[in-house]
Amino acid sequence: MKKNIYSPFEAVVEEVRQETPTIKTFVLRPAEPFVFRTGQFIELTVPGLGEAPFTPSSDPGVKDIMDVTIMNAGLVTSKLHAMNKGDKVGIRGPYGAGYPLDKFAGRDILIVGGGVGLAPLRSLLYSLFSDMDKYNKVVLRYGAKTPTDIVYKDLIPKWEKKAKVDVATTVDVADVNWRGNVGLVTNILRDAPVDVKNAVGVVCGPPVMMKFVALKFLEMGLAPADIYLSMEKNMSCGLGKCGHCRIGPFYACKDGPVFTYEQLKELNDIWD
Amino acid sequence: MDIYFLRTPNLARFYERIAHDYELFVPKKTDAGPKIKCEHGVNLPADEYLLNRFQDVNKDEIVFNAYRSIEPVRSFFTHLKEQVCNYFNNKEIKPGKPVAVSGVKNCDLYSLKIQDFVFLDGNEPDPFYKARRESALIISGDCPAFKESCFCRAFDINPYADEGFDFNLSPIQEGYLVDAASQKAKSIAATMKDILVPATGNQLQEKADGRERAVKKLDEHLSKHKIPKKETLREIVLAGYNSKVWNEQMRTCVECGGCVFMCDTCHCFLLFDEESSASAKRMRIWDGCLYKNFTRVAGGANPLKMRYMRLRNRYLKKFDFFTANMGTQACCGCGRCIDVCPGKIDIRYILRRLHEEKHIQSI
Repeated sequence: MKKNIYSPFEAVVEEVRQETPTIKTFVLRPAEPFVFRTGQFIELTVPGLGEAPFTPSSDPGVKDIMDVTIMNAGLVTSKLHAMNKGDKVGIRGPYGAGYPLDKFAGRDILIVGGGVGLAPLRSLLYSLFSDMDKYNKVVLRYGAKTPTDIVYKDLIPKWEKKAKVDVATTVDVADVNWRGNVGLVTNILRDAPVDVKNAVGVVCGPPVMMKFVALKFLEMGLAPADIYLSMEKNMSCGLGKCGHCRIGPFYACKDGPVFTYEQLKELNDIWD
Repeated sequence: MDIYFLRTPNLARFYERIAHDYELFVPKKTDAGPKIKCEHGVNLPADEYLLNRFQDVNKDEIVFNAYRSIEPVRSFFTHLKEQVCNYFNNKEIKPGKPVAVSGVKNCDLYSLKIQDFVFLDGNEPDPFYKARRESALIISGDCPAFKESCFCRAFDINPYADEGFDFNLSPIQEGYLVDAASQKAKSIAATMKDILVPATGNQLQEKADGRERAVKKLDEHLSKHKIPKKETLREIVLAGYNSKVWNEQMRTCVECGGCVFMCDTCHCFLLFDEESSASAKRMRIWDGCLYKNFTRVAGGANPLKMRYMRLRNRYLKKFDFFTANMGTQACCGCGRCIDVCPGKIDIRYILRRLHEEKHIQSI
């Protein structure tokens, strides 16, 4: 029999970083070097319990280890959150189309993240940083519920210092120590220093946040074909066969999970 | 073309030869009721057929099924529940002895094209489906009669097969015409010269006449049902997104999942794990979009939280998604979903309603 498409390969948890009270980043060392394009996702397995889809948050240029940032939200993720260094997980993938970096060349790239939605975007940022000559500039806007809920707290300041990179963060609700922006992420979008005529907009976060960011992008003058959305669906097989992640004529696992607004704009109820 | 005549008493011997190399399934009548009068006043047969293991059936119980069986033929190629992997070891999962399925009808063959599209095409073929499909022997048969729920011809699918089978049986006087179409079938037929004799011109004519008669009778019946033409299906389902028909029809749904499990073109499945640590197994089980948690994600969001959304989703999948991606609808008109539904939800009625609503709205 040929390669079993349902069979994961082993990976060892090498490090666990607590990002927020509910979010952890797992550093995994796969049994074999793992190649993925930014925006592609994997199925991460807890043997005997099941699997769930995640987009790696690490640099696709690094093949021997991979970061996956995970919010404790369900059956598999709660088990993952109980894992420690040395524990074993399974990986299938990578699946999906990822971000079309060739289409970003020569453009201003406006990236908007919400909550744990910054995880796939971190991988995108590393891909862009590794080849910054190709791009005009990278503008990152990130929103979290509270200062405690911000992920990659130690990394964001490093990104800010990079040439041709502009970063701003906001929280919905501040605490006593917060000196930054307060309000929804759409509030810090309007003044984003991008040339909308030559910009692409990338957004990843909860569906309702993606909806309002996409509408803001349109209002700013971005073309629907230049708006990239990360569609969260119940992707089970990752192979375009199990039927769970249909969006109109597409499967999120095969045709996405990154879609342009142009692809989806005629479809009903895409934000549900 | 290799077309032979097989006398009725020799059918069991024909099957015996095949059962030698295959795990053979043959049609058996499970329920022989009196004829029923359909809503349009036509007397129609109420017999039911199941495809049983040849070894488990008394030879005198084997029949030629006049129309499709109760169970969907896809069940021979993706099993209701099966193991698809062991964890982290290379122990191979054997696909088992090749199957031969008799009693397959043209609606089933149409459905297998849908299953092939899902499990053989795309990014990567499914190894279990592929192994079973390639090794299987398909023995189809003409439909001399039809059930009340049959509506294949509404979508231009004939009650007899022209392709997609290894053997095809056409009932004629005193026996069957056996069409050995594939190389596999031809070589099996070559070992049965004692029971398979070349068909005569008269017999071929009888077969053609029988097919013509079956089509005519079915068309006459379907003309009363006014089912929309297949070319309009995608359009009416998309146009009917906000139709009241979804909510109305779902009032009697008990969420049993019968429609999706009996459907020959449905293919959705769920991967889940059984047992833990060293003995952990990954299983694949049929899933259905009429179930509440079909699209639920971790955290609780569910795009199809209401029942009417799930019914609509099923129609969008069959008539929009498949038409867009494969060029044809994922419905073969077998009517199994109609027969199984305890809530009497009828696909023919829903499509007719959508067609009427689209028509009225455009005036």
